[in-house]
Amino acid sequence: MRCVRVWFEKKGDVRFISHLDLMRTMTRAIRRSQIPLWYTEGFNPHPYMTFVLPLSLGMESENDAMDIRIEGEISDEEVKERLSGAMPQGITVTAVSEPGLDPKFISFARFEISYYVSEGAVFLEARINEMLSGPELIVSKLGKKGHKKVYKDIDLLPHVKAYELILKDGVPTLSIVLPAGSTTNINPALLADKILEGLDGDDYYIIRRKRLFDSEMNNFL
Amino acid sequence: MVKKEVEKLLAHVQKPGRYIGGELNSIIKDKETVDLRYAFCFPDTYEIGMSHLGMKILYSIANDREDVWCERVFAPWHDMEAQMREHNVPLYALESGDAIKDFDLIGFTLMYELSYSNVLNMLDLAGLPVRAAERHSLTPIVVGGGPCACNPEPMAEFFDVFSLGEGEEMYEAFFDLLIECKKKGSSKEEFLRRVSEIDGFYVPSLYDVDYNEDKTIRAVTPRNGAPEKVRKVVVSDLDNVRYPEKFVVPYVEVVHDRVVHEILRGCIRGCRFCQAGFIYRPIREKTPDTIDSQCRGLCDATGYDEISLSSLSTSDYTQLEPLLDKLLSWTIPGKINIALPSLRVDNFSDELMEKLNKVRRSGLTFAPEAGTQRLRDAINKNVTEEEVLRTSRLAFEGGWTAVKLYFMLGLPTETLDDVAGIADLAQKVVDEFYKNPDKPKGKGVQVSISVASFVPKPFTPFQWEPQDTRETLLEKQGHLLSCVKTKKVNVSYHKVDISFLEGVFARGDRKLSKVILYAWEHGCKFDGWDDSFKFDTWLEAFEECGIDPLFYTSRKRSFDEILPWDHLDYGVRREFLMAENKKAHGSRTTPHCRIKCSGCGANKLNGGKCDAMRAGMV
Repeated sequence: MRCVRVWFEKKGDVRFISHLDLMRTMTRAIRRSQIPLWYTEGFNPHPYMTFVLPLSLGMESENDAMDIRIEGEISDEEVKERLSGAMPQGITVTAVSEPGLDPKFISFARFEISYYVSEGAVFLEARINEMLSGPELIVSKLGKKGHKKVYKDIDLLPHVKAYELILKDGVPTLSIVLPAGSTTNINPALLADKILEGLDGDDYYIIRRKRLFDSEMNNFL
Repeated sequence: MVKKEVEKLLAHVQKPGRYIGGELNSIIKDKETVDLRYAFCFPDTYEIGMSHLGMKILYSIANDREDVWCERVFAPWHDMEAQMREHNVPLYALESGDAIKDFDLIGFTLMYELSYSNVLNMLDLAGLPVRAAERHSLTPIVVGGGPCACNPEPMAEFFDVFSLGEGEEMYEAFFDLLIECKKKGSSKEEFLRRVSEIDGFYVPSLYDVDYNEDKTIRAVTPRNGAPEKVRKVVVSDLDNVRYPEKFVVPYVEVVHDRVVHEILRGCIRGCRFCQAGFIYRPIREKTPDTIDSQCRGLCDATGYDEISLSSLSTSDYTQLEPLLDKLLSWTIPGKINIALPSLRVDNFSDELMEKLNKVRRSGLTFAPEAGTQRLRDAINKNVTEEEVLRTSRLAFEGGWTAVKLYFMLGLPTETLDDVAGIADLAQKVVDEFYKNPDKPKGKGVQVSISVASFVPKPFTPFQWEPQDTRETLLEKQGHLLSCVKTKKVNVSYHKVDISFLEGVFARGDRKLSKVILYAWEHGCKFDGWDDSFKFDTWLEAFEECGIDPLFYTSRKRSFDEILPWDHLDYGVRREFLMAENKKAHGSRTTPHCRIKCSGCGANKLNGGKCDAMRAGMV
C-alpha cells in the first residue's frame, strides 16, 4: 500500500456540487479508472481518500489535491492517465505525485473573485479599494456557540494578507490571499458578498481557489 | 449545461447541483442534427426522479435513435421555482439548458397520484398552457405514461396522449409518426387521430364520457375512429430488449444511488391489494447470463459499488442462486455489494442470506402486510406466521439485529383484531431474537414496523371496494399504537390525509381535472411531501368545484358499474378480478401462478406466452 497525491482542477458547472458530492464523485471515478485501490478492513470496506482542504460549495479550484491509497505496482504516470480518463466533465487531473507536505500545514490560500456587475470595472475597483483600505471591514459570520448557530461580527481586514485587482478575460477580478486551513480559515465568500452589498440584485461573482500555501507562503506540494 | 441566466440563480438555492446537468454519461447531441427533441419530465425532485429505473431505460432507448435527443427535466424545489419565476427563467432541460416549451415532445412519467399538481406546475413553469385544449400547435405534444396511466382520467384535460404499457416497445412508432407529421406540417388533430390508431396510445380527447343521474358513468364513446378499448403493449422478451449500458451518474446524492437491474417483470403472487402485481403481467424473466453481463458493464461504466436486483418479488426469480453465484464471482473482489430489495419470507434461506452478506450488510425488510392469518388469506398474501418467524430467526442467527416489517391498515374486511395482530406479530419477532442462544452480547433488537394506509387501485380485485375513511384509519393507527407494549418495536405510518387524496385520484374520473386545476392555481404542489401538502386547499378545491371526494373513496361499487378505466385493457380480465374479489370476502386464497395458472388473461398481451409456466421453471 502506498499513498499518492492526486492534483486536480474543478471548474465550470461542477463548482455547484458540495464537498460530500465531490467525495462521492471521486470515489466513483477512481473505481471506474480501475486503479488497484487499497480498502479499509472491517464490515464496510471503503477506499481511503482524503482531500487536502475541502472547498465550499459554489467555488472553483486549481491546484487542488486529494490523497488516495493504492496497492500493487503502478506508476504515478499510469495512475494519472487512468484517472484522467474516468473523470466527469469539469474535473481534470493535472498531476500525481508523492504527498509532500502534510495538509495540516496549509495556512493560506489565494483566491480570485471574478465579478459580473452592471456598474462596471471602474466603479468596482474604487469600491474594493475603499473597502480594503478602510480602518475595518466588519462582516457577519454564522458561527457556532456550543450547539447553537449564532451570527457574530468579525473584522476581515486583519486577515487580508495581500490583494490586487486584475482583469481576467475582461472580467474585473479580485485576487486575494486569506488564511486557510485547520487553524484559521476565512471563507472568501464573506468578502465577496460584502462587496456586492447594496448593488443590483442580478450582480454575481465566481470564486476560484488558485493555490494553497504553508505559513511561510511556500506553495503547498 | 447551465446558461448564464440560470447560473446567477444557483447561488441562492439549496443543492444547486440538482439543476446543472453535465453528469457523467448524460447524453449531449447537436440540436441542429436531430428531428425530434424530447423532454422527459419527472414530476418530482431530482433526487426522486434520478432514482427511477424507468427513466434510465427510456432515456437510453430514446437516445439510441440518432434523430431524437431525449433530455431530462425534474421539478425544481420551491426555492428554485421562486428564483425562476422572479427572473423569468422558463423550465429547461438539464442536458442542453434549453427551454422545454420549444421541444417537440414533453413526456411525463406518472408514478403516483400525488405528483399530479406538479405536472401542471411544470407545464406552467415551461410557459405552456396547462390544458391540452389550449395548446393548439402540433408541438409540443404532451404525453403521460407510467403506472398511473392505467387510470389517467383525472388528468385527461391536461394531456394530449397517454401511453399504456412498456415504453421500450412503444417509442419507435410514436417518434416516427411525430417526425412525419412535423415534416408534413400536419395539424395536432391529425396527429392525435393517427396516434390513436397505434396500439397502446390513448387519446382522451377522442372519447366522450356521459354520466348517470347518480354521477356514475353511463357510457364512454370513442370518436373519429379511435378504438373501443385501448390495449396495453408489453415487451415480449426481456433478454432481447435494450437495457442501458450506462446510467447517468448524479453528482448529488439521490435516493437510490446504485446500479439497478430489473431481473423479472410481473409477479406470480397475485396479492389482491397490489396494483403492480396485476398491471405488469404477464411474468417475464431475464436469463442470468444477460443480467450478469449487463450488471458488470454498468458497474464499469458508473463506478457504483452496489447493485440492486429489482423486481416486484426478487426471491421468486427462478434462477436467483445461480445468478448470485455468477455475480459474486466478480462483485466480491470488486467490493461491490448486492441488495435484494423485495424478499419474501417464504423462500428466504440460509444460503441466500450468506450470499447477501459477502461484502456489506444491508438492511432486511419483509412485508407480511397484515397481522392475522385470516386477513393475509383475504388479501392472498400467502405467507404464514411460522414463515415470518422462521425468517426472522434465520436473520438473527445470521447476525442481524434489526428487521423492518411492512404492513397495511384499512384492508378490506379488516377488524381491530387484525390491527392488534400486527403488534402481536412484531412482539413475536422480538421474542425470536431473545430465543437465539448466540445473540450478540449487549445488543438489543429493533423491529421497525412501517404501516401504510391501503388505497384501492384500478385493475385489482379490490377496485370495487370502499377505502377506509380518515377517521377509521386514525382510530386503527391509535389502536395499533396502544397495542405495542415495547420500545423494541417502533411504528411509523402514513398521513391519512395524503392517502385519502391518493384514493380519490386513483379511482377518479374526468370531473376531477377541474379540482386539480383549482388546487394547483391555489398553490398546491409537491403533495407527496408532508411539509408541502396543503390539505385544506384540496378540501376547498372539492368544495368550490362541487365535488364530493367521498364519492370516489368511500363508495362500494357494484360489479356492473362502468368504471372510469373500463375502456383501457391491461390484459387481466374483469371476470378474473371479480372472482378474486369474491374469494377475498371468503378469506379464500388463490395459489400463485407457478402452482396453478388462474387464467387471469394477461398472457394475451404477449401472444399467449407467460414465463410463470415456462418449461423447466419450478
